[in-house]
Amino acid sequence: MTRFIIRRLLLSIPVLLGVVILVFILARVIPGDPCRAALGERATDEICDAFRARYGLDRPILIQFLTYIGNLATGDLGDSIRFGRPVSQILVERLPVTVELTVYALIFATVSGISLGRLSAIRRNSPIDVATMIVANLGVSIPVFVLGLFFAYLFAVVLKGTPFSLPPSGRLTPGVEVIPLAQAWGLQDLGGPPRVILDFLSNINTVNAIVTLNGSLLVDTLRHMILPAVALGTIPMAIIARMTRSSLLDVLGLDYIRTARAKGVRERDVVSRHGMRNALLPVVTVIGLSLGGLLSGAVLTETIFNLAGIGRTITEAIQGRDYIIIQGVVIIVAIIYIVVNLVVDISYALLDPRIRLT
Amino acid sequence: MTLHAEPLNTGIADPLADQKPVSLLRDTLRNILRQRSAIVGLTVLAFLVFVAIFAPVIAPFDPTQVLLGIEDTATPRLAPCIHWLGCSMDQPQHLMGLDGNARDVFSRVVFGSRVSLQIGFLTVGFAIILGTIIGSIAGFFGSRIDNLLMRLMDVILAFPSLLLAIAIVTVLGPGLINAQLAIGIVAIPVYSRVMRASVLSIRDQDFIAASRALGESSGGILRRRIIPNALTPLIVQGTLGIAGAIIDVAALSFLGLGAQPPLAEWGSMIGDERNAVFSAPHLILVPGIAIIVTCLSFNLLGDGLRDALDPRLNR
Repeated sequence: MTRFIIRRLLLSIPVLLGVVILVFILARVIPGDPCRAALGERATDEICDAFRARYGLDRPILIQFLTYIGNLATGDLGDSIRFGRPVSQILVERLPVTVELTVYALIFATVSGISLGRLSAIRRNSPIDVATMIVANLGVSIPVFVLGLFFAYLFAVVLKGTPFSLPPSGRLTPGVEVIPLAQAWGLQDLGGPPRVILDFLSNINTVNAIVTLNGSLLVDTLRHMILPAVALGTIPMAIIARMTRSSLLDVLGLDYIRTARAKGVRERDVVSRHGMRNALLPVVTVIGLSLGGLLSGAVLTETIFNLAGIGRTITEAIQGRDYIIIQGVVIIVAIIYIVVNLVVDISYALLDPRIRLT
Repeated sequence: MTLHAEPLNTGIADPLADQKPVSLLRDTLRNILRQRSAIVGLTVLAFLVFVAIFAPVIAPFDPTQVLLGIEDTATPRLAPCIHWLGCSMDQPQHLMGLDGNARDVFSRVVFGSRVSLQIGFLTVGFAIILGTIIGSIAGFFGSRIDNLLMRLMDVILAFPSLLLAIAIVTVLGPGLINAQLAIGIVAIPVYSRVMRASVLSIRDQDFIAASRALGESSGGILRRRIIPNALTPLIVQGTLGIAGAIIDVAALSFLGLGAQPPLAEWGSMIGDERNAVFSAPHLILVPGIAIIVTCLSFNLLGDGLRDALDPRLNR
């Protein structure tokens, strides 16, 4: 097992390096002068020279690349052209929103996807099965931005005044305060990486609310998260439901299931104890794979629901031609994605001994 | 000289006489038409192609024409006016109302079908061609080239697809062609992997060795022997990929990186009017449903094709 993990870790190094190189190249081949793109057409030559010197754009490309790698290794992603602030600082503020949204969406997709798929497989060819499969087919054909806007209209306009009405925009109702954990615990003087981690966690409202036992903050956060999370989670839910159904149907046709039934095991236990355990293996892979789609979809969902996460950051950076931010966000998200896939692969190997041996 | 001979009159009926030869194509077609989802998908798709071809006849207005000042009653985001539902006859008919620039939404949706179908086929076609080339080179020549190309594909797959596409469009500049190029590039690894897997499974079979013994060149073997044998999984993957490509390009247009105004494209129609969703939801609903129906038809067709063409499922 250790050998498998080490080999898998080593294999991801060239991919990581490739990602870094690709993003570096993409950021350098943006057409036009980055200075004029950032500061406007009327920037004088002197200002532009100073600009190039500040961002190291006047040095040889190889030196630029090595500096970039060196900075990356120390967590320095450069300063945003538009805001003049470090990109890493912007990420600490905004990545938590995306993480929160993605995790809620993944929970929704996994729980409802597996239960729908299971129900569908047990009642094969029943109206429930047909309905579930229609929903699953529709789910993979709906763009997340269409579904998000449908939901926003349905829950904020049609259901307005009913108990089901939900806020269609923002993270919190105006007036609801979030106290940063560093302030709540009197740790303002804390610095370095522990502070970064503390601020990161503090900006995940759910974590903040639970840690500080702030009930009203938790309720408000959840109310604002339902619509975006369900919209974002629908496509993976559909994929997971289809996978669970076909995988469970395959497993339920195997001999050991018949043996279990012949022994007199209750049908419910046959499905959950014997069937689901083996059927879930391919589902785990699909869940891991759907993370890429979730991160892509987060860009659109955040734009629709006005959530200031990295998706919104990137769309704003595109409009402001702030390629330092684009570069930083894309690289961090790609690294997160690679690491999560690594974790999924390893957990898959833990679940299925056959993987380790090949 | 002819080899044709009169059948011997032995008085015994030829057992093969009334058995028609089974053509592979016809067999495949019959298998496809046996799939209910494929039929539904094909029917809807045929309807969409019909709408796209006859768009100028079906659409009552020019999709890019601003009707402000041309029609007295025209205002931005005018509600739908359908005569036989009781809309006053002196008002010009707009089945789905007007958009924020006072253009006829129905005409824009109809013309949008042209754009979206073209997006689907071109983007996936581009990805399949490049993916096939890369995958077959990797699979056929193996060793170092294989390793290099497949690691390159891994790098592309290491990004959430839409994010990489956004980065590429930022480099190339916004526009429909660039958006399609970006989505196409991001999709290449899928097809190159499918192609490589097929090549690897065929490469060492006897009929390839036979071709080689007959003196066929590597390129000839690749083109005439291996690629035709690997087409099936590519077609299935490609059909499912079209739905994804349409959604992804629409997403880029929604963000303002794809189709530029005044082109009638469903994604950008939704993007332009997204703030009007609370007051004029039909401006989102109509192009939204158009995207869903189109993608659903390709997904159904793809599922049907997979079930029909996969020999392992023929029970």
